[in-house]
Amino acid sequence: MENKETLLPEKSIPSSEVSLRKAFLEFTDDDVAVLESVNEAATHYADSVIDDFYKHLLSFDETRSFFADPAVLSHVRNMQKAYFKRLTQGNYDAEYVADRIKIGRIHERIGLPVKSYFGMYCFYLRAVLKRLRDEYKEMPEKAYNIFDSLMKLTFFDIGLAIDTYIESREETIQGQEEAIRELSTPVLLLRPGLLLLPIIGLIDTRRARQLTEQLLRSVRANRAMVVVIDVTGVPSVDTKVANHLVQTVEAAGLMGAVSIVTGIAPDIAQTMVRLGIDLRRIRTVGDLQSGIEEAERLLGYSVVKNSDATSRCGKDGP
Amino acid sequence: MNRSRAPILKLGDTLIASVQEALMDADLVGLRDELVAEVKTYRATSVIIDVTVLDVLDSFAARTLRHIAQMTQLLGARTVVVGIQPDVAFAMVQLGLTLEGTETALDLEDALSLLNIKIGRERGAH
Repeated sequence: MENKETLLPEKSIPSSEVSLRKAFLEFTDDDVAVLESVNEAATHYADSVIDDFYKHLLSFDETRSFFADPAVLSHVRNMQKAYFKRLTQGNYDAEYVADRIKIGRIHERIGLPVKSYFGMYCFYLRAVLKRLRDEYKEMPEKAYNIFDSLMKLTFFDIGLAIDTYIESREETIQGQEEAIRELSTPVLLLRPGLLLLPIIGLIDTRRARQLTEQLLRSVRANRAMVVVIDVTGVPSVDTKVANHLVQTVEAAGLMGAVSIVTGIAPDIAQTMVRLGIDLRRIRTVGDLQSGIEEAERLLGYSVVKNSDATSRCGKDGP
Repeated sequence: MNRSRAPILKLGDTLIASVQEALMDADLVGLRDELVAEVKTYRATSVIIDVTVLDVLDSFAARTLRHIAQMTQLLGARTVVVGIQPDVAFAMVQLGLTLEGTETALDLEDALSLLNIKIGRERGAH
């Protein structure tokens, strides 16, 4: 557990943001003083709160599964107790914040659901409230003040932890988006002078731009003369997508490359005609095979089939 | 026109206009006039205009290139524009500028093979 913790990248938020959060929660020096004043009492009932805490946690299958290993359980139990005491030890500084963020990241990484996270905080507050009620029976005002301060601090902690949850998800999404973007536009060299650009998925403005740029660079790098653009994997074509396609083809044309568009599905052809999309400026053929054959014809290639080792069945391209 | 901006070289029946630096509108007009005159003089059958160095081709330049192609066509010569850079090509289509009716090639080498060696490659079918 200790090792894993050090593996997590250090994350921190600027001190101005910390002050802002505290100000928003109206968490002041008075609250710090109040919390520090109950440190002794809190230490006194820490064990019983933690006992209740884990009894509750372990009574649900969903949360119990996280503590199957007894060694882990005793470790997190100690951590939890330390945190409980820490809540009333004052000094809620940058180090405290960094610690909260780290804990949040650990919980996020092991996949503890947010609902359990919130649930346990709620349990925490209620457990303390119950003890405060018993402890300060004669001084309800004092009990109220302590609970008020404690609630501000725990909400401060919850805010930090949940932000790490969100941040981690955002990072994952961003990484995946990048991966998809890179995967989505391969430009393949099929033969000298012949490029294949299979388009899979929706084309939006950003992707169309990137597609075109990548194609143009490949045309120059590979000295391509013919480009086959296969749109079999494009689920729908509207006016915008068609315009992007025309632009891509025309840009390649300006660099001296002929483009052949293949794989327009029957229903897409119907839609395009109904929308009045004019693709007369683009060379289209039915499927990828015909597209490659057309390209080979333009480039002067002819494909010869070897029927067996001895006899040759010469067959020119169509 | 300042000749050094786009000197015209003669290679057999081919005239090669090699643009050396950014062209003003007046330079383009001058290049057009000179090319058309020289096609007539040398009875050229093909013209190659190399625009590799240009990092921008505006509507006037596109129109002039198209006009050169049409004019030389009337005099019996094909015109091939070569060396349009990826960024330039992309900017042109964004602006809706095309060189319809004009042949294009990647660079001078491709243009020469396009003109001299038949590779069965046709442009302008659309």
